[in-house]
Amino acid sequence: MAEKKISFYERMQALDRRYIYLVVALAIIIPLLIPFNSKTYVTEPSENIYKKIDSFAGRKDRAVLLSFTHDASTMAELFPMEVSILRHCFERNILVFTICFLPQAKPLMDYALQTAKEGYEVQSGIDYVNFGYKPWAIFVPLLLKMGDDIAEAVETDDEGRIVNNLEIMKEIKNYNEMNLIVDFSGSAAGLRWITYARAKFGANVALGVTAVMAADNYIYLQSGQLTGMLGGLKGAAEYEKLVDVFATHKELDENGILKPAPREFSKEIIKESWIKMSDIKNRQHKTARIGMNAQTVAHIMIIVFIVLGNIGYFVSKRKTEKVS
Amino acid sequence: MSFETISNFIAAFFTLSIFSFLYKDNPFYKFAEAVFIGVSMGYAIPLIYKDVFTPFVYRPIFVESKFWILIPALMGSLYVFRFSKNLSWLSRYPIVFGMAIVGMGVPLSMHSYVLVQMRSAMLPFDNINTILIFIGTVSILLYFFFSREHKGVYGKVTNVGIWYMMVGFGASFGYTVMARISLLIGRIQFLLGDCLGLVK
Repeated sequence: MAEKKISFYERMQALDRRYIYLVVALAIIIPLLIPFNSKTYVTEPSENIYKKIDSFAGRKDRAVLLSFTHDASTMAELFPMEVSILRHCFERNILVFTICFLPQAKPLMDYALQTAKEGYEVQSGIDYVNFGYKPWAIFVPLLLKMGDDIAEAVETDDEGRIVNNLEIMKEIKNYNEMNLIVDFSGSAAGLRWITYARAKFGANVALGVTAVMAADNYIYLQSGQLTGMLGGLKGAAEYEKLVDVFATHKELDENGILKPAPREFSKEIIKESWIKMSDIKNRQHKTARIGMNAQTVAHIMIIVFIVLGNIGYFVSKRKTEKVS
Repeated sequence: MSFETISNFIAAFFTLSIFSFLYKDNPFYKFAEAVFIGVSMGYAIPLIYKDVFTPFVYRPIFVESKFWILIPALMGSLYVFRFSKNLSWLSRYPIVFGMAIVGMGVPLSMHSYVLVQMRSAMLPFDNINTILIFIGTVSILLYFFFSREHKGVYGKVTNVGIWYMMVGFGASFGYTVMARISLLIGRIQFLLGDCLGLVK
């Protein structure tokens, strides 16, 4: 009996899913091993966070609170943005507070601080303070109490010191001074800052979220309830670029030595800037951008699969209709 | 062998064990899954003891002699009765107090999620975006009005609403794909970069 001929599209439709996994894996592995310089376009929500944080540079009466509300499962997307924002703060002498409300977030928060601190002479209690883990059950009461007095609300930091006695708190009292909260989460947890800190005290709130959550939060950007947002690995790559182009910018002095020369945000500069990945020595400072190279190739592969799958579906459908 | 090398080796073993599920279910995957749950719980319990029980219960009662803390502490411990068939009703009392927080959030949530959102939808038609927002908001609201059959002119307007929603779902799905790929990138970056040092 003659074997029935199977067309290319029918074969594609019946393809074992493990081959697709293999192709996607290769689409990620190859760009990571052979990196290329893809351009990172910076969007307005990322620019707005950068500008807001940068406006606190060198001020002792302004601080940023970074709230870590995620576990290791979303680390790939959120960790690069946390490190970038912390680097921005350390580079520009911006006071930072860190806090987390999930036990699983505690080691990630410590790791982000430790990674960002490399190369900076920053001191806990003077340049930054880690409030540590606070139970989720007291999230709302603590958040409301911070509106009156942060030191009284938090009481002790991660090292057990009385927050009120720390040098960093000298000119910081409540949300009037700690004027930006950036919550990193893979859920809607960050919206609580909008409900309480924004609505009741007028605090500026920004989010660093996983890509899954990003689409849901655009309405809060449009209404002005969010100062800015970093969405997934793309948002992290944008912030990495902003930090490299502006905050850690270096220029040659009269002796030909490269010296730090941070510059103000400018749309013209960011449009024209081109950073060669191989020029950045610390891999932690370009993780998201390297990842976005792989992301681009993987997306192209997925689009090809979707197109092939759809063509296959319509070809098979037409064949079935002809037979019947 | 340094601590970092050992920890990277262990993390790589568990990453590959979890990925092995993509081929088919196997004992390595099951082992990694069980260890993950165990480690999460094992980590959380002492941390909660140190950062919750000690500062909020033990220290106030036994060091600072704030005995009134015994009332919420005992109230909280009533949760244990969830496991008793006859006394499970006692666990409802701490739940009731917990609901007070929810009640406190109602007016602020109404403000943040309804009133401000309504205000931001009532914008002058001075650019194409505001016109698109207006058309989208009205057509989707009409789509969810089920007291009238979706046909004729009304049906065409609700169809516009469906298109808007499809675009929204598409954007969400696109972002979801990006998120899932990002997680895979994160793990492969770890295997190739941190473990093998191949990513420069």
